[in-house]
Amino acid sequence: MSEPNGKKEFADNLLAQDPPSADMQQRHKEVLLKKIERRMCLQRTVIIAIYMVIFLAAFGAFNLRKYTDNVVHAIGWGTVSLHIFLWSLIYILRGICMEMEGLIEKRLDNDERRRNKNQNLFLTILAIVLFVLSTWFLYRSFFLTDSLKAAQKVVSVLWTTIFFLIFYPFRTASLIAKLWFEYKKMDLYGRT
Amino acid sequence: MKQDKLSNAVLVLSCQKRDESAFRELVDRWEPRLYYYLRRIVENESDVWDTLQETWLAVFQNIRKLQDPLKFPTWLYQISHNKAVSLLRKENRYAQMTVEKMADDCKSNNAVLAVNEQAELVHKLLGQLKLAHREVLTLHFLEGFSIREMAQIIGISEGTAKSRLHYAKNELYAALKGANDV
Repeated sequence: MSEPNGKKEFADNLLAQDPPSADMQQRHKEVLLKKIERRMCLQRTVIIAIYMVIFLAAFGAFNLRKYTDNVVHAIGWGTVSLHIFLWSLIYILRGICMEMEGLIEKRLDNDERRRNKNQNLFLTILAIVLFVLSTWFLYRSFFLTDSLKAAQKVVSVLWTTIFFLIFYPFRTASLIAKLWFEYKKMDLYGRT
Repeated sequence: MKQDKLSNAVLVLSCQKRDESAFRELVDRWEPRLYYYLRRIVENESDVWDTLQETWLAVFQNIRKLQDPLKFPTWLYQISHNKAVSLLRKENRYAQMTVEKMADDCKSNNAVLAVNEQAELVHKLLGQLKLAHREVLTLHFLEGFSIREMAQIIGISEGTAKSRLHYAKNELYAALKGANDV
């Protein structure tokens, strides 16, 4: 008997001294899976609710634009609806990008991992700052009396999202390509 | 052994993608081991089941954060150790670090070196050891964890883990010898 086998046999025999009762194990598993199912259902519901609130808010703002007789407000509400919609889109794109990053991260060394983490932190802070500033800017534009000035100002608010709308899809695409190369490498050289 | 590790890693990766059947298989695969380990720390059986439940829920909640799927066993035992310790702390039992003896059961045994009977004897003697010693020995016998992994699971330094395992082994050998002499 080789040593690893002996160790394994010993461990198996040790386990056999105090096995969980099949009844309890079954009951415990049922309860556990029910709890997990409930948790997943709750998570899904919360996420759907959040997205519904966001889209309803965007749609509401878009409709408000029609019911006002003030030109500045009409421009403002139209921009608010796009502002909400674009930032929620950025959030979704960021989520997809993070998911891909999570997959490739397992194959990176510590330095690269740290660099990625810092970059993500910087981008998150930048996004939050830009979102807050542009929201404040948008809010202030409602108090302008000159509609031309208002139109000129609110357009710049929408431009703050452009960088992220380009960056995240490109980053996701490059991560997919990297993953594909890793897969090919494993396929060719049998590396794990 | 290596195949076991790899198939575990595949299951963990599937779990990270929220595959419920993979999670079910992971539970089936690890539950008896975790149960045995927790039984050596927490004595009340219903507490063991509660701790197991909390452990699996925490695993499900946090499995995406696990960077290296090959380190799943260490991570799993670390979670169950923390859950068990927090339960014992609630009941003020961890500080005490000792448990009542189970000497009566083992005195009638002659030590037989056949693996099965040796395991039976070790199982009985484990109950006589200090909680901290029992824990390291269970991890050592059950999973063959390295000193570093054990230190990580229990949350102590490698030096402490090494000396704890050494003293635990000495205590167990002494108990084995005692059981042989009777």
